[in-house]
Amino acid sequence: MSRPDSAAPPVMDPPVRRAAPPPGPRPPHRVVLDAVAMAWRTLTRMRTALWLLFGLALQSAVATVVPQAPNVPGTVRAWLAGEEGPGAGVSGVLDALGAFDVYGSTIFLAFLLLLFLSLTACLVPRIRGWWRLVRRSQPPLLRAAAPDDVRAGVLVGGDRDAALAAAREVLSDRILGVARWRVRTAPDQVAAETGLWSREGGSLAFHLSFYALLAAIVLGQLTSFEGQRGVVEGEPGFVDAAVSYWTYDPGRWFPEDAHAGWRLDLASFEVDWIRDPLAPGAGQPTVFRSEVDVTRPDGTVERAVVEGNRPLVVDGRKIHQLDWGYAPRVVVRQGGEVVHDGWVPTLAGTGVFSGAVKAPAAEPDVGLELYLYPYAPDGPDGPRLTGAPWAEAPVLLAWQWRGDLQLGATQQTITELDVSRLDLEGAAWLRPGDVTAFGDVEVEFVELRRWVGFQVSRRPQVPGLLAASALLTLGLVTALYAYRRRIWVLAEPAPGGPDGTPRTLLTVVGRAFQRPDAAAEEHARLVDELARRTGGTRT
Amino acid sequence: MTDAQLADLSRVLYSPVTLALYTAAAIALLAALSRTVGGEVARGGALRRLGRVLAAAGIAAHVAHEVVRGLAQDRLPLGNMFEVTSLMALVGVAGGLWYLRTRRRPELEGFVLLGGTLLLGLALLMYAEPGPLMPILTTWWRTFHVSLLVGGMGVFAAGFLFTALYLLRVRIDGLDADAGEHRGTSPADATVPEGGPVDGGGAAVAVRSAPDVAALRRRIPAGRLAAGVFLGASTVSWVWAVALEPLSTGLARMLTVNVALVAAALLARWFAPHLPDAEVLDGIAHRTVAFGFVLWTVGTIAGAMWAEQSWGRFWGWDPKETGAFLTWVAYAGYLHGRATRGFRGERAAWIGVGAFVTLMATYLVANYVIVGLHSYAGL
Ligand code: HEM
Repeated sequence: MSRPDSAAPPVMDPPVRRAAPPPGPRPPHRVVLDAVAMAWRTLTRMRTALWLLFGLALQSAVATVVPQAPNVPGTVRAWLAGEEGPGAGVSGVLDALGAFDVYGSTIFLAFLLLLFLSLTACLVPRIRGWWRLVRRSQPPLLRAAAPDDVRAGVLVGGDRDAALAAAREVLSDRILGVARWRVRTAPDQVAAETGLWSREGGSLAFHLSFYALLAAIVLGQLTSFEGQRGVVEGEPGFVDAAVSYWTYDPGRWFPEDAHAGWRLDLASFEVDWIRDPLAPGAGQPTVFRSEVDVTRPDGTVERAVVEGNRPLVVDGRKIHQLDWGYAPRVVVRQGGEVVHDGWVPTLAGTGVFSGAVKAPAAEPDVGLELYLYPYAPDGPDGPRLTGAPWAEAPVLLAWQWRGDLQLGATQQTITELDVSRLDLEGAAWLRPGDVTAFGDVEVEFVELRRWVGFQVSRRPQVPGLLAASALLTLGLVTALYAYRRRIWVLAEPAPGGPDGTPRTLLTVVGRAFQRPDAAAEEHARLVDELARRTGGTRT
Repeated sequence: MTDAQLADLSRVLYSPVTLALYTAAAIALLAALSRTVGGEVARGGALRRLGRVLAAAGIAAHVAHEVVRGLAQDRLPLGNMFEVTSLMALVGVAGGLWYLRTRRRPELEGFVLLGGTLLLGLALLMYAEPGPLMPILTTWWRTFHVSLLVGGMGVFAAGFLFTALYLLRVRIDGLDADAGEHRGTSPADATVPEGGPVDGGGAAVAVRSAPDVAALRRRIPAGRLAAGVFLGASTVSWVWAVALEPLSTGLARMLTVNVALVAAALLARWFAPHLPDAEVLDGIAHRTVAFGFVLWTVGTIAGAMWAEQSWGRFWGWDPKETGAFLTWVAYAGYLHGRATRGFRGERAAWIGVGAFVTLMATYLVANYVIVGLHSYAGL
């Protein structure tokens, strides 16, 4: 018989049958082929998949404990410099192992690749087997009940054929037009099976959804785009074009001319906190809301609101409010000539906002390290720093550095100053309107406003990810909750009734391959149903 | 009532009321286990009835606490570690008891309440007064995402309890660790003292008389159990020693948690001879974890959807996302282990224990240790 034995439960880890190796030395290409075959067999084992999963878990565990450069570059730099964490030595080793960027590391990608190979190796035969099951499986007839089977008897009036027809009837319910049970009839019994391919099918759908997820993620990486840009209240905003963004992160296949050219201005920005220090949740922000004007290329202007959970969608691009800070306008003059005049975006730290001014037009370069304290009323010895974030008594602490700013030579963000080739000249406290002089340089704090950081993104992969997630969830629920079980209804003639009519004893045998409790309940329901329909009595 | 009065009421409902009721219910239900009548565990005994009444009252008080707290702060109590851990306990206890009812395993009720009491106490260690939420957090997405994950945590907690009880039961059965698998005839049959199992359906484990129980109990070496639980608990409780200032406070917290868990383990050992068959426990643990896994999967997907909406990126490997992924992989490992030859049984159960440790450790690490780094992206 060449038909697969559908009576056997699917085997996860089939024993590998290997031909005995031919005697004598083998030619080199055989050695290579054998090695490949061996590797493939190892990959198809569920054990291997388990170890690979374990490897992934271990790497993620490292990533929970060690700061990750793509998330918190500043902390990673502090670790590497030995200012934080376990010290520069240990950090150096961690860096060499790729522990500061686990998800971008070669090891992680290698594990992922191996896991997908293993998944493929294991799914190909499973899909083939599943397809055979769907097309050809037939419940086997019962020869002898097993000790774990549940059984119950129903004594019914009528002959054997009528009783078996009633049993078929009970097992004939349909879901969406598909018979729930696969039923097979023999002269003395009805055999039925269900859950055989839904369970395995669910598991396959679940595992196949990983390919869909992977495809959506990879395609998304290639075709998505993300840019970030800060805008000061009431000042000109920016135009959606590659050059406008402070950080610009297009996928490899994202064409630079795909930008739509609309313009965004920040009309007003609202932020507030629970200001009462004794109230519950004191200091927490309560509002974070930007009103923006979007000007399309055709000149139409539209007023819109961007809030925490409410991004604005323009031409398929999502605009999120990411960040905000104070933006003091600082003017730097050298010998009466303006070498810097602009709004300086500062980023929130604990109780202070920090930013930097870089004035390469001065000779030598001028760099200012700025610390803005929004609420620092005058105290007996200068400004009293309260740490509160509302700008009711702002004061700016400016440190002045001279020398080489190394612009373009080292990595520095807009708010950072690389002081390694700079010399400190002095520091001063400035209120709005104040001017101070360091040598031949004059620094003026003109006015205080706020800026908002917007993120503009296009992510074409999102619908694909949603579809893959739905497949994953449906497959998972099916794999975990569908269960395979069989019912046999055996019929044998019983002694006739009081009036001499024929009677039949139906024995209902149930066998569960998973979830025996659920199967036993269903078995009991089926027996009741059978007794009800045939007017029989349970024995 | 004012919000302040509501807040006070909610605290009283939590502790002492719920805490005391859960503790009393655990004691009554466990004590009911050791009352044997004619060689069988008395299933409908007065103690058990009392325990159930206490448990129902405890759940009612717990629900009342959640409602009152929600009213006091005008939001769902799902916003900080106290609230999350408290709801986790509620889901674990109510869900666990409900599931045991459908499986007709009343012997396990006392253990569920014991676990619930521990979680409740753990939440109390992280108590926070009711308060408002950051505006970015007040959305329907958050409610959906967080309630699924907290539900998943509660179900996983129950699953962990059943897994741990399975491991105790295996020790009682005297299996050697390598045999691992429980298929077909239960090895328990060979070791239950003379008189054997009475109940073929396995609703109650037959335990003949007190001396036999003591002999069975001795198969779990108390010293080793205590040391193992202490070390195992430390894989999670170190977080407090690292996160809290000064170090002495952190160490005291760590010790408190460890000692409470050791005491609970010893208590569980005392009643372990009354546990159902290993195979039954394994099955219950597996079904529980499987359900938790579904909740966790959907909750994590919902989190990614919320992140896309709120932060403009669906996944960024921040500590919480990494923790959720890690937990997911660990539980996938458990589910795979149960389907893999050579891992089935005890080894898979240990993977399940590891998965719960992962869940709790990442929960605490992502909330306590990495707080400062968790920012809303930056330029
Ligand atoms: C990408 C990594 C993988 C993950 C996250 C994963 C996840 C899961 C989960 C959660 C289940 C439980 C659902 C069920 O019971 O059907 C499962 C089942 C299963 N997985 Fe995977 N899997 C992965 C890779 C693999 C690989 C590589 C193989 C093959 C070597 C495999 C083979 C199986 C099998 C045979 C089952 C059925 C077990 C059962 O029915 O209980 N999986 N998988």
